[in-house]
Amino acid sequence: MTITFRNIHKAFGPKKVLQGVSFTVRDGECFFIVGASGVGKSVLIKHLVGLLRPDDGDIFLDDTEVSRLTEREFYEVRKKCAMVFQSSTLFDSMTCEQNVALPLRKHMGLTMKDALTEARERLSQVHMSHFATAYPAEIGDGMRKRVAIARALTLKPSYVLFDEPTTSLDPVSARRTDVMIRELCDQFGVTSIVVSHDLVSIFGIADRIAMLYQGNVRLLGTREDFKNTDDPVVRQFMSGEAEGPMQV
Amino acid sequence: MNAALNIPYRMGAALLLIADQTGGIAIMAGQVVRRLVPPRIDRYELFRNAYRMGVQSVPIIAATAGFTGALMVIQGAPIVERYNARNIIGWSAMFTTFRELGPLLIALMFNGRVGANNTAELGTMVVTEQIDGLRALAIDPITYLVVPRYLSIAIMMTALVIIGDFVAILGAMGMAWGILDVWPRQFYYSAMPMLQTWDFSVGVIKGFFYGNMIALTSCYFGLSTRGGAPGVGRSVNASVVAAASGVFIVDYLSTFILH
Ligand SMILES: Nc1ncnc2c1ncn2[C@@H]1O[C@H](COP(=O)(O)OP(=O)(O)OP(=O)(O)O)[C@@H](O)[C@H]1O
Ligand SMILES: [Mg+2]
Repeated sequence: MTITFRNIHKAFGPKKVLQGVSFTVRDGECFFIVGASGVGKSVLIKHLVGLLRPDDGDIFLDDTEVSRLTEREFYEVRKKCAMVFQSSTLFDSMTCEQNVALPLRKHMGLTMKDALTEARERLSQVHMSHFATAYPAEIGDGMRKRVAIARALTLKPSYVLFDEPTTSLDPVSARRTDVMIRELCDQFGVTSIVVSHDLVSIFGIADRIAMLYQGNVRLLGTREDFKNTDDPVVRQFMSGEAEGPMQV
Repeated sequence: MNAALNIPYRMGAALLLIADQTGGIAIMAGQVVRRLVPPRIDRYELFRNAYRMGVQSVPIIAATAGFTGALMVIQGAPIVERYNARNIIGWSAMFTTFRELGPLLIALMFNGRVGANNTAELGTMVVTEQIDGLRALAIDPITYLVVPRYLSIAIMMTALVIIGDFVAILGAMGMAWGILDVWPRQFYYSAMPMLQTWDFSVGVIKGFFYGNMIALTSCYFGLSTRGGAPGVGRSVNASVVAAASGVFIVDYLSTFILH
């Protein structure tokens, strides 16, 4: 259950975003990706579920090369590799419970009634059962994020990609989310990639961390490696200094 | 670029754009058809859309149709008075309404209400990444979103033409009674023997074609939206104009074929 990026290049028009990113995420690992805004973290993980295709390079999920699959073939990949978007992407026309029930209905063959019962159960795991019948527009950003997490986990995926799961969450919900992500790895053997700026999460639950900088991996290592690095760019990023060698 | 070259350049660019969009709509039609055999339809989406697109359109469509029927009588009134031809007013008003004006005006209203709304909704789903969210859940947006909308729009447009025809009869009868002293009974018994089932069917078939046009165009422009809120605005604009143009073209062709 490993994930491998090999020499991924991606440009949007003249703008080169990824320029040869390579790394491997190990089985059951909780792998963090950090980096400045706009460096291409979201772009990178969208490649795994086929929402973007690389200009060059290979992506392996287990031992299958996925980047050249057709859209139809990607549907099988997406069932085992779930993604929580940075913008939650709940469906506006449905209540929270209907959002969570949708994949249950579509892929597990549950009836609407059973799917809704199950959805409420899933929502209570993210402490959102009070808002089961609210529409996404009626709740806050942080709550939407939690519903999105519940929805992504409905199909019991073996890989989960979290794009900034704790951003806009209050500290308590953020730590609960951390615990949940850690449990997914430890108890269910899920391999997860977490994009995050949240230093508490990073130093709390990351197995390994990769920092993206200027289209490449600047540093890949454990929490200790990041604490003890001599690289001035990484040090500046981790300590959040305004002045330093880092270029936007 | 100098002005003389600019005009052919722009015309060429416009032609290419139209060709591109027509091709896009044709591809979408193919994708929809492929998912209809065997049918894989989300019942909840189908009923939800049929309700808000069809049932909730009944008042505005009925008003459009009623006024169309009444207007046809007003237009015919001077001739009817001059030749004292009261027993053809029913036929002449209903003939043009059924075959031509009813379906056309209903389609334009429906396009403004439902087509624009559909494009805006799908476009917003694109720019807020909800479509990508759907794909990431391994749910095909064409099957889940487009097919129910296509069916709702095409079927409801046809149904609304049928409903509209009946309301148009009432509108015309009322107006004939009001300004020409033709009693509803007289109106009815003078019009019915002269009208053929085919006059009615032509309009309904046209309505079905227009519904297809509006459905495919509005879904295509919605899903091809790019670039935030202004992008949604542009899509809605393009969709309404393209669908209305398409309706006129289909009308023109079908009038020749279905005479
Ligand atoms: N669809 C797209 N078209 C054009 N450019 C894009 C597209 N998606 C992303 N980009 C560009 O790619 C770059 C990386 O974007 P991305 O969203 O991956 O940043 P990020 O690292 O996730 O930042 P943040 O921390 O703010 O989420 C940005 O500069 C953005 O302008
Ligand atoms: Mg991002």
